[in-house]
Amino acid sequence: MRRARVMWNVYVQYWRINVLTMLEYRANFLMWSVFTVVYHGAAIGALWIVLTRFPQMNGWTFRDMAFLYALWMLAHAIHNTFFATVGEVPEHIRDGEFDRLLIRPLDTLFQAIATPGEVFPDELILALITFVAAAIFAHLRVDALFLLLVPLIAIGGALIDLAFNLVISTVAFWFVRVDALRWIVVQLEQEFTRYPITIYSRGVRLLLTFVVPFAFMNYYPARFFLHKVHEGAVLPAPVGLITPAIGVVFVAVAYAFWRFGLVRYQGVGH
Amino acid sequence: MIAARRVPKPFRLEPYVAFASRAMAREATYRFDVFTSIASVLVRVYLLRMVWIALYARNAAPKELPLHAIITYSTVALLMGLVMDIDQTRSLHDRLHDGSIASDFMKPIVVPLYFFADGTGEVLFHALLIVPSLGLALFLVHIDVPDAATLGAFALSFLLGYFVGFFINFILNCTAFWTLEISAVQMIVTWVSDLLGGELVPLVFFPLALQKVVVVLPFAAMFSTPLLIYTGVIPRAGWPGALAVQAAWVVLLGGISALLWRAGTKRIVVQGG
Repeated sequence: MRRARVMWNVYVQYWRINVLTMLEYRANFLMWSVFTVVYHGAAIGALWIVLTRFPQMNGWTFRDMAFLYALWMLAHAIHNTFFATVGEVPEHIRDGEFDRLLIRPLDTLFQAIATPGEVFPDELILALITFVAAAIFAHLRVDALFLLLVPLIAIGGALIDLAFNLVISTVAFWFVRVDALRWIVVQLEQEFTRYPITIYSRGVRLLLTFVVPFAFMNYYPARFFLHKVHEGAVLPAPVGLITPAIGVVFVAVAYAFWRFGLVRYQGVGH
Repeated sequence: MIAARRVPKPFRLEPYVAFASRAMAREATYRFDVFTSIASVLVRVYLLRMVWIALYARNAAPKELPLHAIITYSTVALLMGLVMDIDQTRSLHDRLHDGSIASDFMKPIVVPLYFFADGTGEVLFHALLIVPSLGLALFLVHIDVPDAATLGAFALSFLLGYFVGFFINFILNCTAFWTLEISAVQMIVTWVSDLLGGELVPLVFFPLALQKVVVVLPFAAMFSTPLLIYTGVIPRAGWPGALAVQAAWVVLLGGISALLWRAGTKRIVVQGG
């Protein structure tokens, strides 16, 4: 109990420093916020342009595709806001900063998550706005069940993101440079979650379902909410609801791997 | 006063060739970047092929770009991206940042030409990557090869497009004379130019009202024009006009670059470097 209180206090301090950093570098924060808008705006804009010319993609209209994107964006933004710092572990290993976390009396992963940096909540705010707009635009029936499921699925999606972020960072305990690995996974996630997975060949569909289950971040849940029951995409529609479970399982496995790596970590020799 | 003074010396090309070849050697040492550049192109070739196949399967195909033409378009666009998406004059920004540009001005060289040579070396190295990327991409897709005249016009248009991209980039890096942190602005321009330049989606697919806007922006001169020449959407009769518009952009943006450079270097003197 006391331990939890301490961790909570540290976490509050972490966000306090982030907010102070944001206020200190206001112009920089503003420009990066504009970039966040442009980044997601360009992605949705490209979808819109293509789908005004071609009304549908394997039965998905622009309304469906915008919702698909917004659902991924929400999960991804939750991850980026609360867990992106995990991705900086390899860098801290390289410059020796990581070793400092090992001798402090709090959980190492918790400390890694709560390392202050330029972490701003702008993407999460934008994602929430985009999600609400996309849900209305897609004519989704907003009932109690929807309001209950969406946060669970978004958090589950964020956990899937975190699991891979953590696994890649753990690999850095052995191989200091993991940029190539991270880059491949990021590319798979960002580009391949943009479209319904039915457009890919069978191998890629299986990969996105069972090996790197990014399809659970948005495709399967979106298919459930949009009632696209008759799509022959590996698994049946209700499977879209198990995203939180997948997230928890993958994070648990990733955390076990992290612990395994941590006890074998020998430092890079500073 | 060192900065503003012109050093009248006979012009020699050799130093700039040396700068370019050194930049090439430098790029070759980043093997990780080489690997990711090629892998990125291949992943996207696969992705875009699947996307266009899905879109053409259940919708009426546009007559100006049938499926094989759009797959060719996307693949050539991705290969062009290997060269076009490079921040060639990043070193200008970096040297303004850490102040080392002051020592560049003391050297007996034309400084903008140094940055051009350095950027060209970097770009030439990345241009070499087109060969293995294309070779591997051909395992994934089949692309159309036009006749020699079209290829020649494409090459010329690509070159003009490269200069348009170079000057936009140079202008952005020149703003570092006035404001120091511009990474976010550059990322914004890159993202906007990828979309509005027709790298991701051909401009002929844009809604008509939007097309009218994007054709008057310089981004169309970077990707869209060479690609539309390659795929035959711009017919032979349209080549001179299309190339002239690109050339006009090169002149205009080159002029702005020169003015900014002059204003910026004066400012550096005021600051004392």
